[in-house]
Amino acid sequence: MTSAVIKNLAPSRGSLAGWDWPLISVVLGLVSLGLIFVYSASIPYAGERLADSDFFLRRQQIFLIISIATAALVTQVPVDIWRRLALPMTLLGVGLLVLVLVPGIGREVNGSMRWITAAGLRVQPSEWVKVSFVLYLALLLTRRNKDSVVPLLGPLVVLLFITLLLLAEPDLGAAAVLAMTAAGMLFLAGLPIGQFLLLNTGLLSAVAVLTVISPYRMARLTAFVDPWADPLASGFQLTQSLMAFGRGGWSGVGLGQSVQKLFYLPEAHTDFLLAVIAEELGLLAVLLIIAAYAWLTLRAFAIARNALAAGNPFASQVAYGLGLLIGVQALVNIGVNMGVLPTKGLTLPLLSYGGSSLLFTGLALGLLLRIDHETRAAT
Amino acid sequence: MKHPVFPETGQLRDVMLRSLLLLAVAGLAYRAFYLQVLQTPFLQDKAANRHVRVVDEHAHRGMIRDRNGEPLAISTAVNSVWADPTQFVAVRHRWSELADLLEMPAGKLEQLIGQRLERRFVYVKRRLTPQLADQVKGLGLPGIYLQREYRRYYPTGEVSGHLLGFTNIDDLGQEGIELQFDQLLSGQPGRTRVVQDLYRRWVQPVESLEPALSGSDMTLTLDKRLQYLAYRELKAAVHRHRAASGSVVLLDIPSGDILAMVNQPSFNPNETSGRTPAKVRNRAVTDVFEPGSTIKPFIIAAALQAGIYRSDSLIDTRPGVLEVGGHKIRDHRSFGRITPKQILQKSSNVGAARVALGMDAAQIEEALRSLGIGRSTASQLPGESDGILAPAHSWRKLDQATMAFGYGLSVTPLQLAKAYAILGNQGRDVSPRIVSQPAAARPAQVITPEVADSVVRMLEAVVTPEGTAMQADVEGYRIAGKTGTAHLFRKGGYDKERYVATFAGLAPASAPRLAMVITIQDPKGEAYYAGDVAAPVFARVMSRALQLLHIPADGDSLPTRLVQPKGIPA
Repeated sequence: MTSAVIKNLAPSRGSLAGWDWPLISVVLGLVSLGLIFVYSASIPYAGERLADSDFFLRRQQIFLIISIATAALVTQVPVDIWRRLALPMTLLGVGLLVLVLVPGIGREVNGSMRWITAAGLRVQPSEWVKVSFVLYLALLLTRRNKDSVVPLLGPLVVLLFITLLLLAEPDLGAAAVLAMTAAGMLFLAGLPIGQFLLLNTGLLSAVAVLTVISPYRMARLTAFVDPWADPLASGFQLTQSLMAFGRGGWSGVGLGQSVQKLFYLPEAHTDFLLAVIAEELGLLAVLLIIAAYAWLTLRAFAIARNALAAGNPFASQVAYGLGLLIGVQALVNIGVNMGVLPTKGLTLPLLSYGGSSLLFTGLALGLLLRIDHETRAAT
Repeated sequence: MKHPVFPETGQLRDVMLRSLLLLAVAGLAYRAFYLQVLQTPFLQDKAANRHVRVVDEHAHRGMIRDRNGEPLAISTAVNSVWADPTQFVAVRHRWSELADLLEMPAGKLEQLIGQRLERRFVYVKRRLTPQLADQVKGLGLPGIYLQREYRRYYPTGEVSGHLLGFTNIDDLGQEGIELQFDQLLSGQPGRTRVVQDLYRRWVQPVESLEPALSGSDMTLTLDKRLQYLAYRELKAAVHRHRAASGSVVLLDIPSGDILAMVNQPSFNPNETSGRTPAKVRNRAVTDVFEPGSTIKPFIIAAALQAGIYRSDSLIDTRPGVLEVGGHKIRDHRSFGRITPKQILQKSSNVGAARVALGMDAAQIEEALRSLGIGRSTASQLPGESDGILAPAHSWRKLDQATMAFGYGLSVTPLQLAKAYAILGNQGRDVSPRIVSQPAAARPAQVITPEVADSVVRMLEAVVTPEGTAMQADVEGYRIAGKTGTAHLFRKGGYDKERYVATFAGLAPASAPRLAMVITIQDPKGEAYYAGDVAAPVFARVMSRALQLLHIPADGDSLPTRLVQPKGIPA
C-alpha cells in the first residue's frame, strides 16, 4: 500500500514533484499563524518595555527567513552526509552545553543559563543538541554490532550526560523532550518491552527525585495540581493561561483583542503563545493547531516507514526521531498551556517567538523533507 | 537481543506509538473543549474579576466668574508623572534625563524610586504643565507614565483667596466659595466600566454606567476690578501703618451685592504652602470687632425714629465728661450743647451716651437688631460670625451708655457694611449676597426713609474739615461716613495703646449706591485714628469704584483738602 502511494508521487529530479508539498504547506501555514500571533501577543510588552511595538515581529521575520533558507539548504544535503555528521555534531553540542554553563559565556535569563552570546547573536545550545542527538541515536541504533553485549549502554550514557547538562542550566523542558524522544526511538527500534519499561521506570524515578529535591520544581508541581489555590503567586501564569482559554470560548474574542496579553500572561509571545491564540481565535483554532501538529508527527512517521521500506534504516530512525521531537514538544507545550502538564519553559515549535527554536525546527523539517525526497527517488 | 529490530516488531510499535499519539491528541482536544466551552463561565468570571474595573469619570468642576464674566477660578487639565519602579529600574542609566527635565536635584529620584524598587506606583512629580508633560512623554522611558489630573487655577491669586477658598488635591472644596458651593461646582462624577491591564491602567471603556455631569459655573457678585483695587489699597495701608490685619467690604446698596471683600494678611490659593488659619480666614465675615464710634449713627437713628430727639434737638455735652455707674465717659473737649449732627461730626461720646441713656434699653436693642447687628447676614459665605449683642435686660446703665459709642458689642465688617447700606437705602433692609440671584421680594422698611435720609445728611458733615474724616473725601462726590477708633479688647480689659480703626461710608451721599467698610486692626505707627488710617483707604477705593461703575458725580470738589483735619478720638 505504501509503495503504491510512493509510486504515484515518484519524483523526477529537478522538478517540484519530488518534495512533500502538503508538509511544506502545513509548516508554512503554522509559521504564518505564528508570525501573526507573535506580533499580536508581543505588542503591549514590546511597545511598553522596549518602546518599539514591532520589535518581536521584525526579529521573528528575520529568524523565519534565516530558518527557511537553512531548511532549503538542508534539503540539498544527502542523508548520508548527515549520518557522518551525527557524531561530530553531537560532540559539538555537548561542548556547547558545557560552555553555556561557564559564567561569562553563558547568558543568564530568568535564572537559567540557556543562551550563548556569540558575534552578537544569542543561540540556545539545547536546540542544537536535540537535533544532533536524534541523528546520533539513529546512528547508534542502526549500526549493526552483534558483538556488543549491552548495545544500549552507549546511547544511554550519552543521553544521561546530555540530560544532566540540560538540568544544570536548568532546562527541564528540553531534557524531558529529549528523553521522551529517545524513549520513543528506542521503543521503535525494538528495544525489548521489559528493558523499555525498566528504562521508563528509571526515567520517571529520576524526574520524581529531581522534582522533590528542587523547591522551585516542587512549587511548580503544586501550582499545577491546584493553580487556583494561589492564583496571584505560584499559580499566576497557569491561571492566567486558563483564563485566556476560557475567555476565548468557541470563536475567540477577535484578533488583537486579547486582554490576557496585557501583561497578565507572562511569556505571552513565547511559551504561552497558544493561550493568546485560544483567547483571540477560540476553540476551533486551537483544535486546528492540535490537529496540525498531530498530522505533522504522523507525516514524519510515514516518511520514516517509507524510508525503512526503501531500505534506509538510519533515515527512518532520524525521521521518527525528528517527528517525535517536534510532536512531543508541541504536545507538551499545548498541555502546559492548558494546565494538564506542569510548567516547563518550552516553546511551541514553529509558532512561538525565538530564533534558535525556529532555526533548528527548520533544520529538522529540512532533513525530513530530504529523507522523504531520497526515499521517493529510490522507489 | 537482535537489533536493530526491523520490520516485524517495528511495524507494530509504529502503530502503537501512533495510537498513543492520537490518544494524547484526543486528550488535549477534550481539554481544550473543556476549558473553552464547559468551563468558560468560571474562567470568564475569574478573568472579569481581574480585568474589569469601574472607574470614576472626572466631572469637570464649574468655573467661578465675577459679575462681568471674568474668571476667578478655573479647572485646567494637568498631568502627573508616576513611575513603576520595577520597570523603571531597567533604565537606571537614563534616570538623570528625567531628573534634569523635571529639575529635580540629583539624589531625589534615587531617594524617591531607588528605595522603593518593589513598589508598582510612585508619584514622581504631580501637576506638570502640558508642555513639560509632553517632554516627559518624549523621553520614552519605560516605567514612566502620565496621569491626567485637574488643577484649580485662581487668576486673582491672593486678592480673592479668602473669598474663593480652594480645593484639595482631590478637587473637593476646602474653604470659601469652593467649600460652600462644592456640590454645585463639582457636579457628579460618572462611572465607566473599563478593561484594565495588569498594572491597573485602563485600556478601554466597556460601557458607561453613569455619565459624568459637569459642575455648574457660578457667577459671583464680585467685581474683579474693584476687588483688585480694594486689595491693593488695603495691603498698602496695612503695610504703611504696620497693622496686624485689616478688611475691606464694598456693597452695592440697592442689590446687596458684595462687590469687593478683601483681607490682610492673605495667601495665594494657587499654592498649597502658607495656608495657615490666620492667613486663610475670611476676616470680613469671620472676625468680630468692637465698632467704636461707627455705631453712633444707629443710636441717633434709633432716637430719631423713637421720637425722643429731633434732628434739631440740642444735647448738652458739658462739661465734656459724663459719669455713669462710677465710670467717666469723656470727650476730647467740651462741645457744649450740640445737635445730633454735631455729635456725629465731632464724634462726641458724651453726646451719644446721653442720647442712649434717654432711651429704653429694649428700644436700642431692637433698633440694632433690626439693622442686623448680632445676627449673621446670611451672605452664604462659610464661617460667617453672628457678632455679639447681649440682650437688653442684661445691660447695666454703663453698658447702655458705652454701647452708644461702640463698646460692649461686636460686629463683623460685613455686618457693619450692611447696617450702613440700610441707612443709604432709605431705611430699607439690605441682604448682602455673594451669588447673583434675582432680587428678593420688597425689602422690609427697617428705618423710616426720613430718618435714614437725615442721618445720611448728618454723616456728610463728618467728611468735612470740621469732621473727623476729611481724608475720606472723594473729589466730585458727596460722601457720608463715620470713623471709629476703638481700643482693642485684650484679656483683662482694654489696651490703652492698641486700637482698631474703622471707617464706614456711603457714596454718593445724595443717593447712595455704594457702602464700604474698612477696618484696620492694631496699627503700630504714629497714626492710629480711623480718620488717618482707614478714611484714606475709603477715599482711594471709592473714587475709583465710582468711576468704574459710571456713577454720576453729585457734588463739587471741596477746596478744603488742604486743611489739616483734626483727629478726634472715639
